[in-house]
Amino acid sequence: MPAKDPNLFMLGSSHKFASLVEREMISLPAEKIESFYEGLTSISSMRECLLLNTCNRTEIYGVGNGACPLDEVRKYLSDFRNLDSGFMDRHFYQHKGEAVVRHLFEVTSGIDSQMVGETEILGQVKKAYEDARTRKLSGKILNRLFQKGFQTAKWTRTNTGISRGQVNLGNVLSDLAKRIFGKVENCRLLIVGAGDVAESTMQSFKSRGCLEVTVTGRTFDWCPLSRRKPDELAEKFGGFAMAYESFQDSLHLFDVILTSTSSGKIMITLDDIKRAVKKSPGKPLFLIDASVPRNIEDEVSRIDSVFLYNMDDVSAIANENLRMRMTEVERCRGALAGRAARLWEQMIRQLSLPS
Amino acid sequence: MNLEESRDLFWIASILYGTGLACGFAFVWKSSKKASALASLLLIIAGFVAHTKGLALRGELVKGCPLGNGMESIQFILWSLVLGYLIIRLLFRLNLLGSFSAGLACLGGVTSLAFPSLDTPYWEKEGYDGIFSNHWVELHASVAIFSYGIFGLLAIVSSMYLLQRKSLQTKRAGAVARLLPSIQQLETAGSRLLLIGSVFLTCSIVVGALDWSRAPDALSATKVGLTIGLWLAYCILWLLHFSKRLFGQKFAKVCIVLFFIAICSLGFVRSSPATVAESSLTPTNDAS
Repeated sequence: MPAKDPNLFMLGSSHKFASLVEREMISLPAEKIESFYEGLTSISSMRECLLLNTCNRTEIYGVGNGACPLDEVRKYLSDFRNLDSGFMDRHFYQHKGEAVVRHLFEVTSGIDSQMVGETEILGQVKKAYEDARTRKLSGKILNRLFQKGFQTAKWTRTNTGISRGQVNLGNVLSDLAKRIFGKVENCRLLIVGAGDVAESTMQSFKSRGCLEVTVTGRTFDWCPLSRRKPDELAEKFGGFAMAYESFQDSLHLFDVILTSTSSGKIMITLDDIKRAVKKSPGKPLFLIDASVPRNIEDEVSRIDSVFLYNMDDVSAIANENLRMRMTEVERCRGALAGRAARLWEQMIRQLSLPS
Repeated sequence: MNLEESRDLFWIASILYGTGLACGFAFVWKSSKKASALASLLLIIAGFVAHTKGLALRGELVKGCPLGNGMESIQFILWSLVLGYLIIRLLFRLNLLGSFSAGLACLGGVTSLAFPSLDTPYWEKEGYDGIFSNHWVELHASVAIFSYGIFGLLAIVSSMYLLQRKSLQTKRAGAVARLLPSIQQLETAGSRLLLIGSVFLTCSIVVGALDWSRAPDALSATKVGLTIGLWLAYCILWLLHFSKRLFGQKFAKVCIVLFFIAICSLGFVRSSPATVAESSLTPTNDAS
């Protein structure tokens, strides 16, 4: 019996082929997805389809009915987003058959992500799959393909080092906090200042169930020029705002203290920390100085239970973790190719069986 | 290998502990974490079973708790250490504690077995009639040695603390440091182990003191001095730690140093004084 081709294909663009500006031109706004799907399903040779639309990639997965409708899909997308053919040639890639399986496995496993090994993409693919399933646009082949994709993502994260170590600044800090306090849930976080690093850290700590977040800064309501006032940040993350004048006397109440200001002055001195340690002896204190020039006296790291990190230290850890992940990419790619080949073989065999 | 021979069983236990250590650390570099951790635990349990049988056989041979020579004392301390780890594992999980304990048990076990001079056959002496003169002395010695096992575990936890601290201070997260328990978990475990070890040592001192009061001449001043000195040292350490005056790096270092002093002191207190034979209440070979 001759083997049947499932006419599986994909067309897409990602951060590897398009810059941010170009991705903005390609990406589909949420309100246009409905109409995009309508047009896509009206292509006569289209049997199943699925749209994956994230900030870093826009991909269309599909199964043809008798013939592969890749050219029609390409034309449809180009018309829908007003992209000329030269732009499409430069910034899009397309795959057929086994290469689609391999590509999806690499996407769900995070090795095709901008931040190698990140796990957010898996959630995004799951959401896209659920959306297509709800619309009854995915069928036997895409269902099997995506479910295997999710299993493979789990396998990759368990059996390879692709997701080992954090690479995001906020996550690196919460990882360090875990190495000091065991659980981020046990930590009380104080943020001095309201910069980007402060926000990223708050987000990371809050998402891990941080016990309490307090924000303080020199610019409360009185400063109309401040773009991000500490009390606004505290409100955004459900934390508390503290008067700047009293924060140095309250250091002992916190486990993690992050300074992220542009004051250029020392805000936390060795004496401040000595006083805090005296008030709650034996309790470790994790200090992060995310300011340049620094806000925390370097000498505080001499105190036994105090761990001081500056931005260079945190970046070095993130880079080291990223380097470790990169060394895993090739090993991972090989393993995924093997799994993709096996799945593709099974899919062809199943299709070739008399129904 | 003869499974009815205590020394062979000690060798088997040491090898199993060593394999458990290798398995435990395998997951630091390899990915199959659960399988490696489970294999490591099973190997440690198998080693502990062999270790227990070995001590039981030796106990039958020497007619009492086997604490009559250096090898036996070390084996008993290592057995207590592994028992302590298995009990602690039920109460709270500490990553890699099993591997570190298995490492020390393997190293200590092999070292004690590699030097035959440490295992003098004292039970073959003419007129030998049991290692301890009465059960109180036996209880005193075994509880004291068990507390040393707990202090051994405390020394391991303290070493893990120093490793984690060093890694955090130098801002380098090696593969091992990444998997070590947190600073706070290690501090808590250290506090609990110090308390448990001190309670056992105090019980042993109380039992020993009751027996000693009946025959004060039976024990040498060195043994009494060292035992009381060590007990006092651990009590002071406990007081300082619980009053939050000694913690962190200094506390960890003191725990390690005290454990080494405890091990070294065994050499001084093991040999029986000349007067021992004259007293029916004193041990012929008291190990504590």
